Amino acid sequence: MIAMARERRLAEIFVEVADSLVEDFDVIDLLHRLSARCVELLDVSAAGILLVDAHGELQIIAASDEHTRLLELLALQHDQGPCVECYRTGAARTNIDLTRTEVTAAWPRFATQARETGYVSTHAIPLRLRNRVVGALNLFQSTPHRLGDDDIALAQALADVATIAVLQQRTLEQSHVENSQLQNALTSRILIEQVKGVLAERWNTSVDDAFTAFRSYARARHLRLSDLAAQIIEGDLDTRTIPAPPRAS
Amino acid sequence: MAEVLRSLRLGEGGDPARACARALDAAGVALSLLVGADRTAEPLWCHPELSARFEELQFTLGEGPGPEAVRTGAPVLEPDLERVRPERWPVLLPAARDMGVQGVCGFPLGIGAIRVGVLTVLCDGDRRISEQQYADATALAAALTGAFLNGTGHGNGEGNGHANGTAPRPDAMPDWPTGLNRPVVHQATGMISVQLGVPIQEALLRLRAHAYGSERPLGEVAADVVARRLRFGDDLDDDIGGPYSPDTGKG
Repeated sequence: MIAMARERRLAEIFVEVADSLVEDFDVIDLLHRLSARCVELLDVSAAGILLVDAHGELQIIAASDEHTRLLELLALQHDQGPCVECYRTGAARTNIDLTRTEVTAAWPRFATQARETGYVSTHAIPLRLRNRVVGALNLFQSTPHRLGDDDIALAQALADVATIAVLQQRTLEQSHVENSQLQNALTSRILIEQVKGVLAERWNTSVDDAFTAFRSYARARHLRLSDLAAQIIEGDLDTRTIPAPPRAS
Repeated sequence: MAEVLRSLRLGEGGDPARACARALDAAGVALSLLVGADRTAEPLWCHPELSARFEELQFTLGEGPGPEAVRTGAPVLEPDLERVRPERWPVLLPAARDMGVQGVCGFPLGIGAIRVGVLTVLCDGDRRISEQQYADATALAAALTGAFLNGTGHGNGEGNGHANGTAPRPDAMPDWPTGLNRPVVHQATGMISVQLGVPIQEALLRLRAHAYGSERPLGEVAADVVARRLRFGDDLDDDIGGPYSPDTGKG
């Protein structure tokens, strides 16, 4: 029964993604939704997607929730952590027990921060394109239960969807090189962090709340997050037209 | 390629444009920086002379991969200008053909909404850009962004990274400012730009200047800004750049 329900849900997700891959779709928003679906389908606590940048380092592109604590944990993996190993070897690293220091010895900072955030295990699944690796899907669990082979195969399928989404973008204008899609996505991601700060300051709210209001506004108007962010930073859009979140108490 | 990056790092003499063109195996390269309030593109170096003329032309017209890369913040790759729709760049395309320019790629220099310049690469006769050329050009654009954000044409001592525990990377690139991989740094930059009423690129400079001046890691200072433990006020002397900290002073 559960397996059936899951398969149906998975089919729905593939349809949702396929529907999203229209020209000029919003890759950041799609990857965010895909991360949230990973959490739901794999019954994990959090998921994040990292892509390799021009320096050959992993950078965060999307996460199942935008809490700065999770984003910062993912960002630590530009130079250390299971995703770096996964990226370098091209192989998935699964069911990593964060509570055993002998397991996490190679990346103590990441392990410490992951434990402090409440996670006890993690998994890193490669984003593969033919013979190269362009990033990793990172999963976290706050209660100890192992992911089985079926779960891991499913996680890999979702990682493959993420790869397709990133590399599909703008194929019409720029069919030459896949790397430019990676670069665009990473630029958009930084832009969104910058706009979170701008809005949080104007509204006197947390950056997390600012992002929620920002995304609702973009979705309601079918605007790409990065386009809206650019308009706000350039001062081309009066941010008073965006409903502000309630102020933090 | 490594040679070019090293020469940028050391700020050696010589002709960086020529070295870049050779390293990228390109017919020409031009680097323009965006200056002033209206972000005008100013050529910094070009090689060979054809590149200088093309650079002048595309920014005068506002057409072509260079201006488009500046506008969109994304690389614009047209290694074969014959295949570009004529209405996309109506004035530039015929002029480029007359000059003998066959293909052009533009690589923006910047971080998120911050744009500091653009690297324009002229492609040679085979009308394509290889994976290697692309990787080298983006690496070069990233290295140049780092160098210009450091406020000099080459790395200074600041970004070596001991502060946040990462090892310096002597063989890699001119010092890429450390901490820029952290979301809080970009969030704090956005907040400071509102606090000071300055453009986003200046906000990042002010944040980095404060981190440098207080000898603290960039990410740590940024986290203080995001948590509202530290605020950049505009009522203080700009030269000191001293932000107002409501509780702990300068931490």
